[in-house]
Amino acid sequence: MKTDYDVLIIGSGASGGMAAYTLTQLGARCLMPDAGPPLDFERGRTLRPVWDLPYRGFGRPGRFPHITQASEFDAALWADEKQNPYSYPAADPYYWVRIKMIGGRTLRWGRASWRLSDYEFKGKDHDGFGENWPVSYTDLAPYYDRVEPIFKVAGRNEGFAQIPDGKFLEDNSKDSLSVERFIASAKKLGVPTTKARRSTGTLASSANLLLPDAVATGKLTIVPNAIAREIQVDPNTGLVSGVSYVDRLSRREYTVGARVLVVGASTLESTRLLLNSTSRRYPNGLANSSGVLGRYLFDQFYVKNCVECVVPEARGGKASRELMGGGGYIPRFRNLKPGEKKFLRGYAFDFGSGGTPSAKYFPLYGDALFAKLADVANTGFSLTTMGEVLPRYENFARIDPGVKDEWGIPSLHITHRYTENEHLMAQDATETAAAICGGAGFEVIAQHAQMVPPGESIHELGTCRMGADPKKSVLNRFNQAHDVKNLFVLDGSAFVSGGSQNPTLTILALSMRAGEYMAERMKKREL
Amino acid sequence: MKRRQAIQALLGAPALAAIPLPAIAQEMPKLATSTADAVGEPSTHYFSNPQMTALRRLGDLVVPAGAGRPGARDARAAEFLDFLISQSPADRQSLYRNGLDQLQSEARSRFNAAFESLTPQQADGVLGPLHTAWTYAAPADPFARFLREAKEDLIAATMSSHEWSDAQAAAGRRGTGIGTYWYPVE
Repeated sequence: MKTDYDVLIIGSGASGGMAAYTLTQLGARCLMPDAGPPLDFERGRTLRPVWDLPYRGFGRPGRFPHITQASEFDAALWADEKQNPYSYPAADPYYWVRIKMIGGRTLRWGRASWRLSDYEFKGKDHDGFGENWPVSYTDLAPYYDRVEPIFKVAGRNEGFAQIPDGKFLEDNSKDSLSVERFIASAKKLGVPTTKARRSTGTLASSANLLLPDAVATGKLTIVPNAIAREIQVDPNTGLVSGVSYVDRLSRREYTVGARVLVVGASTLESTRLLLNSTSRRYPNGLANSSGVLGRYLFDQFYVKNCVECVVPEARGGKASRELMGGGGYIPRFRNLKPGEKKFLRGYAFDFGSGGTPSAKYFPLYGDALFAKLADVANTGFSLTTMGEVLPRYENFARIDPGVKDEWGIPSLHITHRYTENEHLMAQDATETAAAICGGAGFEVIAQHAQMVPPGESIHELGTCRMGADPKKSVLNRFNQAHDVKNLFVLDGSAFVSGGSQNPTLTILALSMRAGEYMAERMKKREL
Repeated sequence: MKRRQAIQALLGAPALAAIPLPAIAQEMPKLATSTADAVGEPSTHYFSNPQMTALRRLGDLVVPAGAGRPGARDARAAEFLDFLISQSPADRQSLYRNGLDQLQSEARSRFNAAFESLTPQQADGVLGPLHTAWTYAAPADPFARFLREAKEDLIAATMSSHEWSDAQAAAGRRGTGIGTYWYPVE
């Protein structure tokens, strides 16, 4: 087997990209097989009118039954579900949303960039549920400090313990009058608000912020269209010796070796690869002596547009820029003192001012509908809830031997149900959002507490979690497998809990930290 | 003569290379083109005649033409939906076919007339579910669910048409439907 590389990195998204960025700058020779092709930003896209598309923007029916984010414009970017099938219990659909291209899902992420806090890292200490992470906020803070400038995160430091401050491009932009009214109403109800925290730039992706620097060192080789099939283990040492992969286009099979293997293929793809890598030593999946590989799957539930409002003063063409526009974020405020509510943990909101409410909200049609839409043009104000989902053993992914992808690799059967805790939280969130909007003098035209199906938030986490106890976890505090010391899993699968904050910033920070740990150990010949 | 030279002579390569080409012959032309939808009349084939006439009439009622605003008929939204639904999953096909049949049967039973012949006031009686307040969950009644979907689809098919785009542009408005399109990947 060819072993010209120090580190093999499976996947090129947030975790794989950051691992390559970190390791190559510390001198490690890295090879990065990725399942997808590179995206050609010059020749791969063009401006096109919607009426020129074959399906006028509706998209080819049935192409993406589980990817609500896909449009006919960007259909080429999302993983085709026929080529990449999976299964779930008939009564509990799971929406597995993937992008198989160099850069992974950072090509299309929402860019919300929040730090986790010890409300998450030490959640068990706080309210008794689940497990603590084997790291604390103090361990990760220096890495957040270094990741935020790379991604040019804009935001405002507030001193909130639940979303720690950071190294931001300070956002001191003035709020519109409608946002000011909303903030004042929230304050009266004891609900905190802040500016959104987002990575900025034309593209805020691994493909433009991490991989180019890694390639520039001369120490990173990227191999597109290389679909990892199985991780290979030396039967004598129990260590990872390499990976077998199949070329996406030719279907030729290859193997390649390295001293250290980093898996960063995204939460469920990484766990799938480990579960598919069985051997006499690891009959239930690589690094799975604990039996929890695949277990404790969770995400963040979304209630999209939980409250939809009209700002009355903006009606009739009076939606000025002074009155409408902008938005912000409400961080978790529930259960910061344990036991405050009937549910555990909490939720956050994104809120936004402006835009015209959808025609679906008005029980009208014809001229009456269009007159109404003209009257409420740009008067909209809406909120979306993002809530913490509790990690539970019963929510899991396993190999479904009857479902294989187009390259013959067994896929996953995914079981994930929301429980009463999430339902209670969603209900509380919608009631709170409506109360804030009502207090601001907005007209609430629609509200609901219906969560999107599990997976749709594209924040799936867990299944290969970190922990101090090898009997209850797969990875140690440096994302290193308890069972296999030259195996590291760096993506969202390592999460122990997720809070209500978008996870990408934490994935990046964990990956940078693990990359430095690896480089140090390799230098000392301990890996 | 060596073999390579002989082949080149046979192919005429040296002679061609020697001919000076005008500049325009060396440029790759980018030809202006139109679209099938813009120049041709779409054939319908999925819905039956009564279903199609009901859908066209529903389009007139839901998205009538207005000042500077094309309607569903101008945008041939019903014809587009005939195409779209023909390729849609079976449950959506049934919803549409049964819903359009019910428009006709309701019109017959209430007014002894075809749906397309009803006055707007009469049709409004049939379209009662469209006056129901929005809920996140789709209505349990299939006819109400059909009307809700058809309303959204007719609006979307009209607003994504060439005619709508032209009207928006003529009025100096944004929202002409231009987007970044990604070519299929090998």
